Amino acid sequence: MSIFFRRLPKFNYVKPEKFSDALDILRENKDGRFRVYAGGTDVIPKIKERVMPAPETLVDLKGISQLNYISHDEANGLRIGALASIHDVSQAPVVREKYPMLAQAAASIASTQVQNRGTIAGNICNAVPSADSAPALLCLGGKALCEGKEGERMIDLEEFFLGPGSTVLGDDELLKEIQIPSAKGKGVYIKLSPRSRMDLAVVGVAVFADVEDGIFKDVRIGLGAVAPTPMRAKTSENRLTGESVGDQVIEEAAAMAAEEAKPIDDHRASAKYRRMMVEVLVKRAIGQIISH
Amino acid sequence: MEDYSVIGKRIPRIDGLAKVTGEAKYAADYEMPGMLWCKIARSPHAHAKILNIDTSRAESLPGVKKVLTGKDFKGWKWGWMPKTREEEPLAAETVRYLGEAVAAVAAIDEDTAEEAAQLIEVEYEELPGVFDPEEAMKEGAPQLYGHAKNNISWDFHMDFGDVEKGFKEADLVHEDRFETGRVITGYLEPPAAVAMYDSSGITIWAAKQSPYFVYRHLAACFGLPLSKVRVIQPFIGGGFGGTKNDSLAGDFCSVLFSKLLGKPVKFVYTMEEVLMTCRRRHNMIVFNKMGMKKDGTITGMHSRVIADGGAHTAIGPLTMYLTGCMSTLPYKLPNFKHDAYRIYTNNPIGAAMRGHGVTHTRFAAELQMEMMAEELGIDPVAVRLKNAISAPYETINKVTVKSCGLVEGIETIADNPVWKNRKEKKQEGPIAHGVGMSATSYLGGARQRGHQSCAAVIRLCEDGSVDYLTGASDCGQGSDTVLVQMVAEELGLAMEDVDIKRVDTAMTPCDAGSYGSRVTVLAGEAARKAAQDVKQQLAVFAAEKWEAKPEDILFKDRQVSVKGQPEKTMPFEQLAKIACYSGSGAVILGRGYSDYGIDVLDFEKGIGNCGTSYSFTSQLTEVDVDLETGFLKCTDMLIAHDCGVPLNPINVEAQNQGAAMQGMGQAMYEAFKMDHGKTLNPTLLDYKMPLATDIPNIEVVDIITEDPDGPYGAKEASEGAIVSVPPSIFTAVHDATGIWFKEQPLTPEKIAMALREKKKNG
Amino acid sequence: MEMKTIKFVINGVKQELRIPPWRTLLEVIREDLKLTGAKEGCGQGECGSCTVIMGGKSVNSCLVPAMEADGQEITTIEGLKNGEELHPIQEAFVEHAGMQCGFCTPGMIMSAKHLLDHNSDPTLEEIQEGVSGNFCRCTGYTKIFESIDAAAKSMKGGR
Ligand SMILES: Cc1cc2nc3c(=O)[nH]c(=O)nc-3n(C[C@H](O)[C@H](O)[C@H](O)COP(=O)(O)OP(=O)(O)OC[C@H]3O[C@@H](n4cnc5c(N)ncnc54)[C@H](O)[C@@H]3O)c2cc1C
Ligand code: FES
Ligand code: FES
Repeated sequence: MSIFFRRLPKFNYVKPEKFSDALDILRENKDGRFRVYAGGTDVIPKIKERVMPAPETLVDLKGISQLNYISHDEANGLRIGALASIHDVSQAPVVREKYPMLAQAAASIASTQVQNRGTIAGNICNAVPSADSAPALLCLGGKALCEGKEGERMIDLEEFFLGPGSTVLGDDELLKEIQIPSAKGKGVYIKLSPRSRMDLAVVGVAVFADVEDGIFKDVRIGLGAVAPTPMRAKTSENRLTGESVGDQVIEEAAAMAAEEAKPIDDHRASAKYRRMMVEVLVKRAIGQIISH
Repeated sequence: MEDYSVIGKRIPRIDGLAKVTGEAKYAADYEMPGMLWCKIARSPHAHAKILNIDTSRAESLPGVKKVLTGKDFKGWKWGWMPKTREEEPLAAETVRYLGEAVAAVAAIDEDTAEEAAQLIEVEYEELPGVFDPEEAMKEGAPQLYGHAKNNISWDFHMDFGDVEKGFKEADLVHEDRFETGRVITGYLEPPAAVAMYDSSGITIWAAKQSPYFVYRHLAACFGLPLSKVRVIQPFIGGGFGGTKNDSLAGDFCSVLFSKLLGKPVKFVYTMEEVLMTCRRRHNMIVFNKMGMKKDGTITGMHSRVIADGGAHTAIGPLTMYLTGCMSTLPYKLPNFKHDAYRIYTNNPIGAAMRGHGVTHTRFAAELQMEMMAEELGIDPVAVRLKNAISAPYETINKVTVKSCGLVEGIETIADNPVWKNRKEKKQEGPIAHGVGMSATSYLGGARQRGHQSCAAVIRLCEDGSVDYLTGASDCGQGSDTVLVQMVAEELGLAMEDVDIKRVDTAMTPCDAGSYGSRVTVLAGEAARKAAQDVKQQLAVFAAEKWEAKPEDILFKDRQVSVKGQPEKTMPFEQLAKIACYSGSGAVILGRGYSDYGIDVLDFEKGIGNCGTSYSFTSQLTEVDVDLETGFLKCTDMLIAHDCGVPLNPINVEAQNQGAAMQGMGQAMYEAFKMDHGKTLNPTLLDYKMPLATDIPNIEVVDIITEDPDGPYGAKEASEGAIVSVPPSIFTAVHDATGIWFKEQPLTPEKIAMALREKKKNG
Repeated sequence: MEMKTIKFVINGVKQELRIPPWRTLLEVIREDLKLTGAKEGCGQGECGSCTVIMGGKSVNSCLVPAMEADGQEITTIEGLKNGEELHPIQEAFVEHAGMQCGFCTPGMIMSAKHLLDHNSDPTLEEIQEGVSGNFCRCTGYTKIFESIDAAAKSMKGGR
C-alpha cells in the first residue's frame, strides 16, 4: 500500500544534559531502538517518510551544550564540536580564513533554515555520497573523535564511511568532535547542482594543494556524489604531487580522478556525465588554486 | 484612454493585509468540532487488477471509524465530457497508474488514519503496463481500456487550405521532432478540504480554483440537487490548472465519510502525494513540418502531436484542441494540418496547466521557424515581422483577432540594445553568452459553451457601500482586486467601498472557474454590467429628485451629479439612502453577465474562437552557458506584453514575472523522472522549480492596445509569458552554442553531452 | 505513550502545553495554539512555508520536534504586528505586490525578518540568498526582492 505520511510515527523523546548520560542511554542500543540526533534535518524527514524505522526513543543531543563549539589553535588545528551548526561553521572567522573550502562547502548546503539547525557532525554521520562537507573534510585530513561504551577512539574520516548511509560508528557510539589538523596550502570546493541553492550535489569536488615555487607539494582531491561514499582521488593526487605546475599534468590528473570515480546513473545525472564533470571540476579547482 | 479613477492604477491587492499577517485562512487551516480525518491509501502498482481488499485490520484499530473502498461508490464515475466518464473516486476493479486511490480511512485523528491506512491489505494481480505513448500506440501494446484501440484516449484533426500545395510552394521544407517535458503546476498549497454532510446537504471548504467543478461533481456523485451542494471557498494557495480545477479522491471520500458518520471530515494531501499522483501537464512529442519561401514567408505547416495522457482522459480533449486551434497565431499560416493524439499510458494523468496545450506546439513551431530562417540567411526579427499578423485578422480556422500588439512587441525587442549588439559575442573563460527571442499569442476569456459565461450580483447597502458577489475565484492571480477595481470605477466609488465575497455556491452566481485566462475578461465584464445595472437603478432616483434625465446622472469620486449642472451634486451615500428608504422598499440589486455571444465553435474541426480576445507576447532572453559543464543560467528577460489595457499594471507585471519563472523552470530544470510508472523525484528538492537564487532580471513592458471585447480594453496577462519563455531560452542557447536543442528541459547534462558531440565531429 | 509538558514563550505569550513527544513544532503551533499563519507546504524542510523564528534563528518548524520548544522563545507571522500596526516588512509586501496566492508569504516574511535582523542593508544577492530556502511558485520572486529591499530601507529610516 502506498501511503503519503504527514505525521511522525510515535516515539519517545529524551534530552540528556551530559555526554555521559547520552552514552549510558546508548549502552544497550540496537536495531535503532534509540536514535540520536543533532539538527534533525536528516533524521526527521526520514522518519516521517518511513524510510528510517521509528525509534522507540529519539535522543536529542542539543542538551549537551558543551558539544557546541568551534575552536582553533595552531598546534592542534580546528576542532568542531558535534553540535556546531552548519551556519556557525560557515560563518566562523577562523574557518573562513584558514579553511575557506570548508566554509564554502558548509555554505552550499540547503538553505538558511537548514543551516541554522543542521550540523557538520550530522552531515558526516548521515554519510550520503553527496554530503557537501565530506569532500572538503577528507581533503583536510579530518578525523572524528568518537566515544562509546568501549571508550574513546579517533577515526580517520577516510575510514569512516562504509557505504551510502553507513559508517563505522557502533550503535552505542557518538561522534564528539571533528578535528582538522593545520596545513599549509589552499583549498576550493566546487558543487555542481542545477539550482544555485537548496539542491544536492550532482558532483562535488574539493581540492587542496600546497604549491611552492611552481611545484605541487601536497595535493589532495576529495570527490562527492560519484561513489558509494565520499572519496579521495589518490591516483590523481599522486600524479600531481612533486610535479611542476603545468597544463599537461593537470589535465592528466583530472582525467585520472574521473577514472577513479565510481559514479552511478540515477535520476539526478548519468554516470557518464558525472565522470566528465569530475574531470572538468578537478581541473577548474586546481586552476583556481594556482591562479591565486 | 479615458481618465479613470482606479482602473489602470497600481493598486495594492485587496487581500494583501490578510495574507501578510497570517490571517488568511486556507483549506487546511479550517477545523470543526468533532472532526474526523481522512487518509487515502494508494496503489503501489502502475497497472493491476484488484482481486481483494481486506479492511478488517484497519477497521479494528482503535480510533478508526470507517474504511471505504471503490465499491462504496457504486460504480459512479466522472470525466470532463459525458463520453469520457471513466475516473472513479476510488478504483474498484483496476488501477491504471501508480498511486491511484484504492481505499480511504476515517479516524479520530490523522495519526490514527495514517496508521490504519497501512493496515489495509489489497491483493493485486499485476498487469503489463505501458509507459511510453509511442509504444502504447503500437499494435499489441498493453491496453488500458477495452474501448480505446491503440490506447487512443482522444484524437483531434484539423485540415485547412492545402498543406501539400503549401509545401510545394516552399523553397525549404523542414521536418523535426520536438519534445516537451513532464512538468507540474507546482502550487505550494497541497489540496485539502473539510467536508460536512447533514440534512441541509453537502458543505465543503475546499482548495479549488474552479469551485463549480467540484460542485457539479459532488451533486452528481451523491444524487443531490445543486441547491444542496455548498462549496465555500477559503483562500487558495495557487492553482495553475489541472488538479485544483478538478475533484479528488479526498473530496469524494470525505463527503461520503461525513454522510455515513455524521461528522465533519478533513483531509490534507502531502506534497509528495501531489508530485507523485496528481495531474500534470501532458508531455508531448511534436513532429513538425514547415514550408518556407526564400523571403521567409511560411507557406504551410503540418503538426503531428503525440501526448502522454496517462491513465485517464480528464480535460485532455481540450488540451489537444488547444495544441491545434492556436497554431494559426501569431503568424500568418495559409495552409495548416494538425493531427493530435492523446494516448493512454500507465503514468499519472495529463491535464491542464497555465499555457494549456499551446506551449507545446508554439515551442515546436517557433523554434523550427527560426531554424529555417537561419538556413535561409534570414534574421530572427525579419522572419517574425514577415509573418506576423496585425489586427484585424481572421485566421484560416476563423479565429478573429481585433487587437494586436505583436509587431510593436517584436520591434521593442529588436530596438533593445541587447538585441542590436548581440553579435558582439562575449565569452569569458568557459562561459558563453547568448541572446534569443520569441513571440506568441494566447487566448483570453476562454468560452467554448454557454455554461462558461460569468455572472455578477451587486447589492447596495444603505450606507453606500456595496457587496459584490461573483463566482470567480482568485487563487492568487489578483483577480479579486481587478474585479473590485471595475466595480468601484463603474460606480464612482473607492476600493474600500466595495466588498468582494469569496465563492460560496449557495450565494454567488455560478461561474466556470479560473482557467483559460477568463476571469478578468469575462467575470470583469459581468461585474461591470452589474455595476451599470445598479447605477441605472440609482439614476432613476436621482433623476426624479433633480428632474433630470436618468442618462445624465454621473457617478464619480463618491459623488452623484447631473451632467453639466455641477450644483446638482450629492454624496453617493445620500442617494443610496434615498433609494433604499424609498417608500416602495426598493432593493437595489445589480445583475450582469458576460455576453460576447457564443460564437460558432466547431470543437470537432477546430474552427472558430475559443477565446474572447488574444494577447501577444514578444520576448528577449539572455543566457550564460558554461561550455564545459553545460550549466545554463538565464540572466535577463524582457517581456513585451500586449494584454490590451493593463487594468492594474503592478499586477500585470507580477503575473508576467511569475509565469516567466514557471516557464523557465519548465524549459531548464523541471522534469519528472519515471521508471515503469513510478515517479523517481517526487520532492521539491528533486523536482527542481526555480528558487530565489535562480531568478534573472525580468523587465516587463506593456504594449498597449484596446480590445473592443475586453472590459476597459483588457485582455489576458501571463499565459502568453509562460509560452514565450521556453522558445526564447532555446534560441538564446543556440546563439551561445550553435546547437539547436529540441527537447525540454534543457538540462546541463544535455548541453554538455551535445557540446562534446559537436566538438568530436569537428 | 506518555504526554509531556513543554513551556515556552510564543509571540510574547507564555504557553504551557501537554503534547505527545512525536509532535512537530508546526503541528503544535497550528493545531494546539491555532496559529495557522505558518503553513505546511512540504513537511520536509524543502519549501520554507513553515518558517518561524526560534531562539533568534529561522527554522523549518515542520522538522523541529515540538519538545525542543521547551524553554524557547518563538516568533511566528502572527507576532509581527505591533497592535494594529503592520511590521515594515509586512507593509512593504502589501505595497510592492510581494505576494500572490499568499501561501508562501508567512514563511517568506519570517525569513526576510531573520535576514534583516542580521543584516540591515542587504544587497540583492544577499536578499536572494536570505530567502533561498523559501519556495514561491506565483511571484517569480522579483517583487519579493523589491519588497524586502523597500522594507530594509524603511526600517533604516527609523520607523
Ligand atoms: C531540504 C534539505 C536540504 C538538504 N540539502 C543538503 C545539501 O545541500 N547538502 C548536504 O550535504 N546535505 C543536505 N541536507 C541534509 C542535512 O541537512 C545535512 O546532512 C545536515 O548536515 C545533517 O545534520 P543534522 O545535525 O541535522 O543531522 P541529524 O538529522 O540530526 O542526524 C543525521 C545522522 O547523524 C546521526 N548523528 C547526528 N549527530 C551524531 C553524533 N554526534 N554522533 C553520532 N551520530 C550522530 C543521526 O543519528 C543521523 O543518523 C539537506 C536536508 C534537507 C532537509
Ligand atoms: S513545510 Fe516545512 S519546509 Fe516545507
Ligand atoms: S505567493 Fe503563491 S507561492 Fe508565493
